[in-house]
Amino acid sequence: MELFDNLLLGLSTALQWNNLFYCLIGVVIGTAIGVLPGIGPIPTVALLLPFTFGLAPASALIMLAGIFYGAQYGGSTTAILVNVPGETSSVVTCLDGHEMAKQGRAGPALAIAAISSFFAGTVATIVIAVLALPLGALALKFTAVEYFSLLVLGLFAAVILAHGSVSKSLAMVFLGLLIGTVGIDVNSGVARMTFGVPALADGLDFVPVAMGMFGLAEIIANLERPAVRQVVSQKLRDLVPSRADLKAAFPAMLRGTFIGSALGVLPGGGAALPPFTAYALEKKLAKDPSRFGKGAIEGVAGPEAANNAGAQTSFIPLLTLGIPANALMALMIGALMMQGIQPGPQVMTEQPELVWGVIASMWTGNLMLLIINLPLVGLWVSMLKIPYRLLFPAIVLFCCIGTYGISNSAFNVWLMLGCAVVGYFFIKVGVEPAPLLLGLVLGPQLEENFRRAMQLADGDPSVFVTRPISALLLAIVAIMLLAMLSPAVLKTRKRALAE
Amino acid sequence: MTRRRFDWPDLAFGAFLIAVAAGTLVATRGLNGGTAADMGPGYMPRAIALILLAFGLFFAGRGLLRGHVGIEPVQLRPILGVGVAVGVFALLIENAGLALASFAAILIAAAASRESRFFEVIVFGLAVTVGAVLLFIKALALPVSIWPW
Repeated sequence: MELFDNLLLGLSTALQWNNLFYCLIGVVIGTAIGVLPGIGPIPTVALLLPFTFGLAPASALIMLAGIFYGAQYGGSTTAILVNVPGETSSVVTCLDGHEMAKQGRAGPALAIAAISSFFAGTVATIVIAVLALPLGALALKFTAVEYFSLLVLGLFAAVILAHGSVSKSLAMVFLGLLIGTVGIDVNSGVARMTFGVPALADGLDFVPVAMGMFGLAEIIANLERPAVRQVVSQKLRDLVPSRADLKAAFPAMLRGTFIGSALGVLPGGGAALPPFTAYALEKKLAKDPSRFGKGAIEGVAGPEAANNAGAQTSFIPLLTLGIPANALMALMIGALMMQGIQPGPQVMTEQPELVWGVIASMWTGNLMLLIINLPLVGLWVSMLKIPYRLLFPAIVLFCCIGTYGISNSAFNVWLMLGCAVVGYFFIKVGVEPAPLLLGLVLGPQLEENFRRAMQLADGDPSVFVTRPISALLLAIVAIMLLAMLSPAVLKTRKRALAE
Repeated sequence: MTRRRFDWPDLAFGAFLIAVAAGTLVATRGLNGGTAADMGPGYMPRAIALILLAFGLFFAGRGLLRGHVGIEPVQLRPILGVGVAVGVFALLIENAGLALASFAAILIAAAASRESRFFEVIVFGLAVTVGAVLLFIKALALPVSIWPW
């Protein structure tokens, strides 16, 4: 069985002492930023990127992945205990989780959240392992033509499934693509839009862009809102859920895992969409929907399972095709490139221990999360007592040092400042910055493949629709765009995202 | 949000895109465009700029016609505090060393919030500076000096 061989290979990588250590660091940092509202995984991963340079590629990716799924665990802790979602993905957990806590059942709620997450994480690891092989094999047949179409599909799907206005997000993708063309053109060696700045010759580094737009702009916007008083007063008694709790939660857990795994694989998927869908489904299936919002345990189990499964399966397009499903995966691509690895389907055959090691580490990481989250929950909650007025200057400083650290240039710090101002403008006019980051990271790949495809086809753009795989991919894009224009779909999408 | 004559967020975003597109077209005017079969360095930036221009005109037009949405007022204190802190860090880091740059950045950033307290910030700033030096220079070996001398 090739699958088991691969998983064994992965486990042997993931279980090396140093990789276990980096996995632990990743999940601990992930839990911490998940607990703290106001700082998310994107600036954190961006901040740590420069320092993964010295690590082995597998260790670096294992740690960064741990931050992402660890944040999903931490986010639910604050959602349940304080009614403040640490991450967007745990917004729905607030509804029933906090209600349970108010009824004095915080212990079982936390335990069910952690168990659901662990269960979903385990299943998702297997889903990744099963899907990775056929997808990777398919992708090896791709030429520049198919690659271009696949990238287009990825970008469009990411825009349509993400929240926010579709037309504005599309404009942001193109803006990202444009920024991606800055630097020396690889084919002709001519500098484009560098304005004579030598630091721009290699193109804009996406770490300062990500930290400025996601980290600093977010802080500036947070400071404009009045501070929220946080009340933490919950004695945590027995964490063990009763047999009835488990029985009620288990089917919801299964369904949540399934939804999360399916939605996570889609481009644009990730941890945000699945929990909303899972919650809506549980409410629809329940015999007595009125219990929801009043402490229904299914309302915790389903979404929690879904967000963890989604967080993990969103690695599939990255590991098999080299295409990021969301902005965070775009940063992972950056991490690979810093290690000198060109992301794409060939990574699976050339570096199997890297890909399978990362997949297997998700399981060891989930096990660690279960242990560091349940018995140590009190420690994480006490972190919430750090007031935001102290937290934000420290985040600003770490962003500065991290950006400077990428290439020891003050230019990147200035660039981050500029991006913070532009990011603040985007927040003010209500535009999501995530599609821009995707465009920026995918831009050079997209241009390279487009140019190569057009060269092969002698400048005839019909090549994209006469090749079967490429035609199919572009047809999916066309169907999605048409569907978005139909008023019925538009309404459902609005409702699904608003709920 | 007050009722306005225009949809200000759309209008502002549209104007921004038009400005970016125009800037790109000006900046790439010296580059060779080439043909579709053999693209020059200017082909893609110009093509994308034209698409952005279309998006910009669409949003700006819609903003002018639809109307009735305002933008929440900009508060100067947060953006100035954070912005100046980052700028000062960028100016200090290469010549004055990490310790001074960090301490200055923390102090200035703290001024962005109305809730900051003077002595608390001083103590906290010193603690974070020591922590940053230990973490980034001692543990992660960032090649930058600690002190100006």
